[in-house]
Amino acid sequence: MGRRIFSLAFFCACFCTGEVTVLAQEFKLLGREVQIHGFASQGFIYTNDNNWLTMNTSQGSAAFTDMGLNMSSQITDKFRAGAQVYDRNLGQLGQYHPSLDWAFADYRFRTWLGIRGGKVKTTLGLFNDTQDLDFLHTFALLPQGIYPADLRDTSIAHTGGDIYGDIALHRHLGTLSFTAYAGHRSDSIYSGYAYLLTDFFVYFRSLEGLQYGGDLRWKTPLPGLLVGASRLNGEITGKGKYINLFDPTAGLVPYQISSKAEWTNQYYGEYAVRKWRFDAEYRRYFRDEPYADSLDSIDLRAWYLAGAYRICKRLEAGSYYSRYTVRNVFSGTLALVEPNETDTSLPQNHIYDKVITARVDLNRFWNVKIEGHFMDGYGDATYPDGFYPQVNPEGFKPNTNALVLKTSFHF
Amino acid sequence: MKLSGRTRRRITALLVAEALASLTSLIAFAGDVKLIANPTVKSDTITPAEIKRIFLLEGNSLDDGTRVEPVLKRSGSTHEMFLKKFLGTNGDALQAYYGTQVFTGKGSMPKQLGSDAEIVTYVAKRKGAIGYVSEDAATEGVKTLVVATTGSGVQRKLISRIEPEYPETLDRLNIGGTVRLQITIAAKGNVEKVELLGGNPILAEAAISAVRQWVYSPGSGRTTTEVIIPFSPRH
Repeated sequence: MGRRIFSLAFFCACFCTGEVTVLAQEFKLLGREVQIHGFASQGFIYTNDNNWLTMNTSQGSAAFTDMGLNMSSQITDKFRAGAQVYDRNLGQLGQYHPSLDWAFADYRFRTWLGIRGGKVKTTLGLFNDTQDLDFLHTFALLPQGIYPADLRDTSIAHTGGDIYGDIALHRHLGTLSFTAYAGHRSDSIYSGYAYLLTDFFVYFRSLEGLQYGGDLRWKTPLPGLLVGASRLNGEITGKGKYINLFDPTAGLVPYQISSKAEWTNQYYGEYAVRKWRFDAEYRRYFRDEPYADSLDSIDLRAWYLAGAYRICKRLEAGSYYSRYTVRNVFSGTLALVEPNETDTSLPQNHIYDKVITARVDLNRFWNVKIEGHFMDGYGDATYPDGFYPQVNPEGFKPNTNALVLKTSFHF
Repeated sequence: MKLSGRTRRRITALLVAEALASLTSLIAFAGDVKLIANPTVKSDTITPAEIKRIFLLEGNSLDDGTRVEPVLKRSGSTHEMFLKKFLGTNGDALQAYYGTQVFTGKGSMPKQLGSDAEIVTYVAKRKGAIGYVSEDAATEGVKTLVVATTGSGVQRKLISRIEPEYPETLDRLNIGGTVRLQITIAAKGNVEKVELLGGNPILAEAAISAVRQWVYSPGSGRTTTEVIIPFSPRH
């Protein structure tokens, strides 16, 4: 209750501050200009069959809220610092537990070389670091195979450092932007992975590990065309308690899992010309997780192709098609009780999503979106993908249509 | 009524000037944006690469080290023209880009104002401010920057700049415009050759005459540069 009150107050503060700071969002502190910005979004989802994203969507659910508030300052020519608080509720996830989204100091020596230290948003693909900033996107929900709303925490930020820069290429060959990073990730225990494992009577108290990788993107000489590739290596250690089904009388006993290998490769392109914008991305995520003498290997592959057209100043229309497949392979004792899942033509091993959307910009700071999802498959694996057995106790149906309404505000 | 020869010549000149002005407005090119800066900005010129860097928040100083702050228009044809010509983007894409910078902590939202007059007032007051306005906007209290593109890829620093004399007839008729010139700078720094690329011929004559007297920093060889000179009527 206390958390809800805090969040409501925070939400109101964002809005009220927004009303004021739309006109004046800067103030001076110790002679330096400080900017304050914030955002909030509220969604509603209705699905015809399966419940989606841990919400009771088959009845219609508005448990789809997020918000953030940041403060930053350009302290000297080359040095800036800032922080953002983030809070959300997505069905059973988030539960209005505020978190520090990012907080870092940034020193830019040259255009081609800068460093950041602190909690930094992770550069991965086109939209990883902005996936929760609804007002920046045409779509209410980005392609979930690549930017899963229920797994936001797994890749959104790291506590560590980045080296980055923009290199202008000779002979007008465009600009290369690079980011290399290393740090520590700390997933929320209110995220999708922890929630999914409660179905296996596992209750995490921490989920964390190393994360390091890089991103290279090329703004080509053709105006509006950008291509790039990202790599993220990581490891995850989860600690908590579980009920051993072979000895349930022992009650909750200590539990720990660690990944053996975990990596993501992502390739992407974006082309914006006149009123059109096209995006395409491919992501492969691989993870090996040992359980005693067994190994559970998850291999996720996803891609999408999206297009958007600005019809007029206030209206944009968009559509995307995304494909997500999952292969789950077991070895050791686990293989005796869990069959491998490698046939991606089955609905439990894929989600194909056709999406159409309309975005109405009521003004510069406030938009409303209406979106239809037509999904084939539900991807029932040991890794989350939007469809959870806990909120679908009667099993999954092969197809899901969803209506998404969302509004967001920023200042 | 018989007109004196002098009066006839005057009327002819005015008619010619008006005709030229209309012609110029018809063939106005996408460079009809004036870059302005606070008088504390030392440089008289700015390169497209510097403009891109400053307005895309990739750096906050000019090549000579002067700290600058970008100021933008919120919308309008001048804004879209500037974005297309110098940043290779449009208003929506730029707002999304700034949003990304601000909400991931990588940059501050630059000042965005509604009209030319507001931009000129802000730039005039704010140390290091750089903005853009339509070519016919009054620019009292600010300096106009010459946008220079170096054909040979080498940037030469402008050491001495002579302002062109505004042709009296056009000034009186409140006719402004922009002149585009391609100039060749000798190794010593003097302007060796001036070629007219576009603009009102009467304004061009004044611009060419002034630019011929400009002096650049010495270089290892001859370089070519494109300069854009805006003329704003003073009345």
